[in-house]
Amino acid sequence: MFSRTTLARALALPIEHSSARSASTTFRACLHQATSTTTTTTSQPEAPLSATPRAQSSIPIQQPRFLTSSNTVPLTRADVPVTKQPVAPTFDAPLKVSQSLLDLLPNLTSQKPHFITAHLHDRPYLLTAGDQLRLPFLMPKVKSGDILRFNRASVLGSRDFTLKGGAQYLDERMFECRVRVMGFESEPLRITEKTKRRRRHVQKVTSKHRYTILRVMDVKVKTAEELLEAGAVVVESADSDANVELKA
Amino acid sequence: MPVQGIRTVTAARNGVGAFILQCKRLDFHYCDWAGSSRGMVAYLKHHLPAFAKANPQIEIRVSPRPHKHPVIKGHYINGREKAVCVRNLEPEQIVQKTNLLKQASGEKLKRTKKPVTSLNESVRGIWSPYHGGLKSV
Repeated sequence: MFSRTTLARALALPIEHSSARSASTTFRACLHQATSTTTTTTSQPEAPLSATPRAQSSIPIQQPRFLTSSNTVPLTRADVPVTKQPVAPTFDAPLKVSQSLLDLLPNLTSQKPHFITAHLHDRPYLLTAGDQLRLPFLMPKVKSGDILRFNRASVLGSRDFTLKGGAQYLDERMFECRVRVMGFESEPLRITEKTKRRRRHVQKVTSKHRYTILRVMDVKVKTAEELLEAGAVVVESADSDANVELKA
Repeated sequence: MPVQGIRTVTAARNGVGAFILQCKRLDFHYCDWAGSSRGMVAYLKHHLPAFAKANPQIEIRVSPRPHKHPVIKGHYINGREKAVCVRNLEPEQIVQKTNLLKQASGEKLKRTKKPVTSLNESVRGIWSPYHGGLKSV
């Protein structure tokens, strides 16, 4: 059951990337730039909502196409260090997978449960389905009940197998990790006492940070068939976007 | 034979499937006479109807509380309540306080150091010195 507000917000927000690629790429790109505060994209859950029209209130802005993956970081916020900038989706080229990845991927997908090391603002969070995640900041422009999709991950694994992206993040077309915004919490008031020498005065500094509470809805690795169906290209193993390894 | 309770099979985890807002009721208390309630009365007149319409899952009660400062009390599914005094606040500030009460979980505020809390077992299992990768001397 979804509340009315949740539904309304879900409708106002973008687009599943698995839908028509060429059209959605540039659109998603501009969404990333417009709301660059998070590296996540919001998307919708399964059947009941997806039948309704999407992106009603979003204004389609024509943006220049992204440069490809030689990793040009869009400098949308000058005050944020380069490593923490949101990374542009590299959707210009189809996903590249090696034959060995395709051979080993069924082992990983069939072995449940899975964990994921999702990155948000360049911080890693090791998550499994059902976990509660307390972000160390107040996420702007979200409401409780919203669903976000994490699209940056470095490691994805099961008990015996690991999918690694190497130097870069894993390609976001290889997995799905959705989280729900549960609400906003704060810590108890912190009072720090500050003193100067030879002065009988104690300065009391208070702080009360606010946090975003998220709940991991699912962690799903896409199967080899789903990847090939979505247009993945089989290449030499050196060019592959990710590799499955057996746990040492 | 002693009576045995039914063992729980699953733990409730809100938000994994369906999402239920934890705030179930908001009580608004005001005073007609006192000046500290002026912002609250304006809020009740102009902002509360829209808020109530936008949040049909929250029960809203408005009642006078003479000779006292205005208070908003949130009641949560876990049985706790959270009260915020809104004396001398402007209606816009009261909007923020109401949103705070609406989106809170109702739990007591705690300082936690780990970002992830999990009920699941470890995916990789617990390390054992007797299994896997044995080194012979």
